[in-house]
Amino acid sequence: MRAGRAQRVYIDFILLKRGCGLWGWQSQIECLMGGIMVVAETASFQAAPARDVPSDFHRFAFMGSGKEYFGIWIVNVLLTIVTLGIYSAWAKVRRNRYFYGNTVLLGRAFEYHANGKQILIGRLIVLGGLVVLNVIATLVPILALLPTLAVIIALPWLVVRGLRFNARVTSYRNVRFDFVGGVGGAFKAFILGGLLTIISLGLLAPLASRWTGRYVGSNLRFGGKAFHTDPPLAPLYRGLLIGALFGIVVGIVAAAIIMGTFRATAPAENGLDDTVQVSLVWLLAGSSYVVLLLVYGTAMLFYRAAVRNAVWSATRFDEKHRFLSGLSRGRYTWIAISNLLVTIVTLGLMRPWAAVRMARYTWEHTSVLVAGSVGTLVSEIEQQGSAVGAEFIEFEGFDFGF
Amino acid sequence: MVSDQGRIASGEWHPPGTSRSVPSQLVETGGQIAAQDELHANLAAADFAQIEISARVGSIPRRLEFPDGSLFETSDNDAIDRLLKVRGKGSQGFIHQLERFRPHLVLVVAATILLGWAVYRYAVPALVEVAVLVTPPVVPEIMSQSAFKALDSGVLDPSQLTAERQRRIREGFGAIAALSSRGEAGYTLNFRKGGMVGPNAFALPDGTLIVTDELVDLAGDDTEMIVGVLAHEIGHVELEHSLRQVYRAAGVAGLIMMIGGDIGSGAEDILVQGAGLLSLSYSRSAETAADRHSVELMQKAGREPAAIARFFDLLEEKLDDHGDTSILSTHPGTPERRKAIRDYVAELRAKAM
Repeated sequence: MRAGRAQRVYIDFILLKRGCGLWGWQSQIECLMGGIMVVAETASFQAAPARDVPSDFHRFAFMGSGKEYFGIWIVNVLLTIVTLGIYSAWAKVRRNRYFYGNTVLLGRAFEYHANGKQILIGRLIVLGGLVVLNVIATLVPILALLPTLAVIIALPWLVVRGLRFNARVTSYRNVRFDFVGGVGGAFKAFILGGLLTIISLGLLAPLASRWTGRYVGSNLRFGGKAFHTDPPLAPLYRGLLIGALFGIVVGIVAAAIIMGTFRATAPAENGLDDTVQVSLVWLLAGSSYVVLLLVYGTAMLFYRAAVRNAVWSATRFDEKHRFLSGLSRGRYTWIAISNLLVTIVTLGLMRPWAAVRMARYTWEHTSVLVAGSVGTLVSEIEQQGSAVGAEFIEFEGFDFGF
Repeated sequence: MVSDQGRIASGEWHPPGTSRSVPSQLVETGGQIAAQDELHANLAAADFAQIEISARVGSIPRRLEFPDGSLFETSDNDAIDRLLKVRGKGSQGFIHQLERFRPHLVLVVAATILLGWAVYRYAVPALVEVAVLVTPPVVPEIMSQSAFKALDSGVLDPSQLTAERQRRIREGFGAIAALSSRGEAGYTLNFRKGGMVGPNAFALPDGTLIVTDELVDLAGDDTEMIVGVLAHEIGHVELEHSLRQVYRAAGVAGLIMMIGGDIGSGAEDILVQGAGLLSLSYSRSAETAADRHSVELMQKAGREPAAIARFFDLLEEKLDDHGDTSILSTHPGTPERRKAIRDYVAELRAKAM
């Protein structure tokens, strides 16, 4: 018998980058977002006597199957298209219920309680705001920066709202999560951190990741008890450095392969007429773009895994129970890239398989070190009752899906 | 089926607002649905209609919330589905029935692809038409005026053409504009020195047309050709290309974002890029439509229908533009456009005869 819901509040953060992509900050935010997904370096744990696995060491498990999710997914896509997007809010609920409901810890699953209406209202409000701002910006070119400014000002508030919503609609053992972070902290973690990352050309990304990890991780509550996290900078910088090097190596290999192909297929460079030369220029431009994306994507994924490890492994619940994330950065990157390739090659049809594969990998490499016995922890949780369960939120502040 | 004792499913029961749970049976007793402990004592009971039952998603546990706030959870999804069916609420499981991994999913996949294509091909254009219809004329006016101001302050300089040269072009332009559906009053023709934009002409959606000195110089004495180019710009205005393009881009981007959560961020980014490429094809077809409009308008005015084709000759000759159409261009390749125009002129002539 499983009860359910997940503490994966931060999952939605990754989506934030898409929202910001609208205003062209995609890359910076993606950088930032990596921060949220993750936690600590496996290496730092191997130094501890954690090798002999203690009896109170419990892995998360992911029980979903690609086959089962396929049906949910394809119906989501179908109904979203048929309803011109309106169903997407309900689609999100079904998707999250499936993923949370299959994420299991200590024999119980997490649960996602939002309903489609709350999400739809949130989306309509955000969409309406965006449309109005963009119309104003189009009509009055002097105000072209208005949407960006408005977003910078409104984003922290929306982020807080979204985090709180997502925490409160998530439960584990019939106890709800809560999020108590304020707007100021969100501003520092997301806007300031993002700006620093951009200004420093990514060199301060680990600092930003640390701020976001700390902000999200330390303001999360479960049944009235607090989570706390303060990820160290060293593993984050190590992740960034290795990620960048790894990305460059991948880029060089890809560039070499592409150049080799060009040489082989276009031997008579002097005899080319204009048209062929023009299309060659396009091909070169296109392939440099692909190579750049590959370098950036690889480095980003690598770093994201490092951030997840760092943030999770620095997290404590109720000051004594520790979390541990032991993702292999290379393997995580490989799974993400091969997932994308498989999804493209199958025109999207293997996406459910890919999503389940990633969820399984990340959760199976995440665990909890319970201090004392599990029985004590469970009975402690049981005494809490559902702290915020009664508090109902009308709509989801910022749906990062946008 | 429900057993003799009215037993429906086994699971666990949580008292209101706690995570404590006790093993429990869901039973039907005395017309009510109840959660009972091992001794068959009611833990909670309510009429079926008052119990909130969560929708089925895959095989994750099902929740039944009693009015007193207590909760019965079971992983026996089938039993709950049977209960709903007996109570005439079987239709609630419609989405789940669609989702089950059975041969019919092939139909769902086919329907998704077909409908996705149909939405892109028909629903988005239809919505764009509706949006264009309901857009008050003041919107393109404000858009155009502010764009014109921005162009003037940023890129364009006052024209250095002689008044005589301008007058002759205006004369020809007046003649064709009078024959367009907005009439001569619907357009204002402006001359500007193009600077970095070079020989060019553009149309703003409110009927403001701009021709650069460089284009006029390139044309030399061939006023007819300039009029042909202006007829092309009139085409853009009449066919409302700018507004359509804005709405179209917004519609497609919106659809992609809606399914974004389901397709993953990497695949979403690729779709966005793909939509960008497709919008270029839309831009190319708009150019072709405007070219044809030029031919028709010139013919209606009793002028030389293929005048605009000469402009492309000139581009090719003087600016050495032999580019083919590529999927990355906003305009069709120059040689290709010229040929399409001449073919269309021949076609119209054949029809007239």
